[in-house]
Amino acid sequence: MSSLLVISLAAAAVFAIAALGELLEQRAGILNVGLEGVMLLSGTFGFIASKTSGSYLQGFTIAILTGALVGLLHGFFSITLGSNQVVNGMAIWILGFGLTTYIGYPYTGPLGLKPFPTLGGLPTFFVVALVLAVAIWFLLFKTHLGLELRSVGENPSVAEASGISVTGMRYLAAVLAGMLVGLGGAVYSLVYNPVWSYNYLQGWGFIALALVFFSLWNPFLVVVGAIFFGILWQLSLYPELLFPNIFSRYIWRAMPFVITILVFILLSTRWFRLRWGATKPEALGIAYERQG
Amino acid sequence: MRAVIGSYTIRIERRADLRWWHTVVASVLAILVSLFLVGFAFLRAGADPLEVYREIIAYAFVSSFGLPQTINRATFVLLAAFALIVPLRAGLWNIGMPGQLYAATLAAFGVAYAFGAKASVNAQLNGAIVIPLMVIAGLIASGLYGAIAGFLRGRLQVNEIVTTMMLNWAMLWIVAHMIREGGPFMGRTAEGEGFTLPTAIRIPQILGLPLTAYAAVLLALVLTWFLAKTTLGYRIRTFGESPRAAEYAGIYATRISTLVFTLGGMFAGLAGFHYFTGVPGVYKIPKNYGEFADFSFYGLITGLIARNNPIAAIPVAILFGGVSGGARFMQGKLRLAFGIDYALLGVLMIMMVAFQALAQYSVRIERVVTAPARQVGLERGESRVESPRH
Repeated sequence: MSSLLVISLAAAAVFAIAALGELLEQRAGILNVGLEGVMLLSGTFGFIASKTSGSYLQGFTIAILTGALVGLLHGFFSITLGSNQVVNGMAIWILGFGLTTYIGYPYTGPLGLKPFPTLGGLPTFFVVALVLAVAIWFLLFKTHLGLELRSVGENPSVAEASGISVTGMRYLAAVLAGMLVGLGGAVYSLVYNPVWSYNYLQGWGFIALALVFFSLWNPFLVVVGAIFFGILWQLSLYPELLFPNIFSRYIWRAMPFVITILVFILLSTRWFRLRWGATKPEALGIAYERQG
Repeated sequence: MRAVIGSYTIRIERRADLRWWHTVVASVLAILVSLFLVGFAFLRAGADPLEVYREIIAYAFVSSFGLPQTINRATFVLLAAFALIVPLRAGLWNIGMPGQLYAATLAAFGVAYAFGAKASVNAQLNGAIVIPLMVIAGLIASGLYGAIAGFLRGRLQVNEIVTTMMLNWAMLWIVAHMIREGGPFMGRTAEGEGFTLPTAIRIPQILGLPLTAYAAVLLALVLTWFLAKTTLGYRIRTFGESPRAAEYAGIYATRISTLVFTLGGMFAGLAGFHYFTGVPGVYKIPKNYGEFADFSFYGLITGLIARNNPIAAIPVAILFGGVSGGARFMQGKLRLAFGIDYALLGVLMIMMVAFQALAQYSVRIERVVTAPARQVGLERGESRVESPRH
């Protein structure tokens, strides 16, 4: 049972790191629905770099760089060109999905490095995720920069009027978020499940996206949600631990996705929806065009 | 934005009037540039891209084997595109084609199963009764599966992208349950694929093409008429342009979003029904059913490139149906890695978005006219408006 918890936390780390990245940019008003694509691209390139060089460091570096570049690309479309952010996110997702299937295919198979070290039994990146959650909370709510980032996501024209560069802030958020999401992708492909196969991410990017919506844009709730989904995912892989001999194993694999939808429904109380509406960054997904 | 280079100014400005041909040019350019970029994959394999594309065209659009395959694939893509187009007219995103198409496929095969179709390929069944039942069951299942996302969106404001994606993954595992490891639809001999549909209840063909291929073209016309000329179509479009304004006009969010997702789901369902019960050589849920789930995302791009126009989607679907199949054929011939059609999908998507975004801008190059030296000693009140700009 405790080993189940440990591997659940390892899974939670992937969800949490990626979702924290998305949370950061959503707070600045940028919606990237293509999380899955960013994670696929960075995870795959990181995997290839690690597999060919034999070094984790190279893999993570490449993955974070890839994430930053994709974030920049999404930023360019969404901020500079001002086109529909949902379309851009979709494009990033399909790009990631399509390209990595072709580029990664020759590298199908295990990574072949010795397992990534843990921190006294705890998955290293779960600890990283906790640190990141605190750091992002501190950044957003306790620093001047965080205030500026949030103001850009709430009311960009007012932010601009008070001397904040909306474009600059949003690019900063997009790139930082890209790096975090890229790291999340690499944690999946290098640490959590270091075996490359086509479309290996199985919708985790979309679950991470859902987590941000669940979390009321609060980094700590993101971590709580990530742990929940980490456990859920592991239970769906090993249902016999709790419910032996009910359903086939394939039906169990469908469970985390069904439960994601159920959580959406259960959370949709009047109270939650009011809170949700109040916390939602006012300018989320809306391009800002400077006047004059 | 303005940049001055020498005595020329380059001005980049947002177009005030986006003409229809701007978007057509953008779509065509996106397709051409994507094909050019994917050509590098062929180049890397040591083949001449032009030669490869010539062979792809010869295979997909000329050869007597490839052409029907292209049309069947195009039908699938076209119907999947309608699944995107209807909700997108209401401003909502349906990326649940994989889930919806397999909901219909499972329901249709379920009807066949109930009639004992699993027993033998030669089972004596009355097609005139069973096939319509399969269509109806498929439409109901895919419509309902689609409606989930629409209802949740309208009623509870749940993001439809996340919901449809979750429903996709759930359905893919349900299909696995049905056809693998002793699942009810598992074929009798092969492992990991569904049972083969008896000859009596396959979709009838006209001129070597399943009826569904003709139906898809007809549906493009019906859908265009529906969206442009009916009250309901008008309501959908109004809702898409401004949900709030629509609400004042008495258009209910929940009803519209449920409706568009039901219709979208049904179109995706027809795509699955067409491919798995109508295409010669398939007639079952294949082992690689996941690849058809991915293939349905070509419908997403088709809908976007056709700018939400069902009739414009027809040529785009034919092109993609052919090129993706042809690319796969060449991939085998040149012994390329798996997934060249996936790479094309990805590149097309990003190029489409890039060019559609760029189409919003105009680029003008102007000669800088240096203003004449300012005259000194103007009389007070005298006009200074002499620069050629005015």
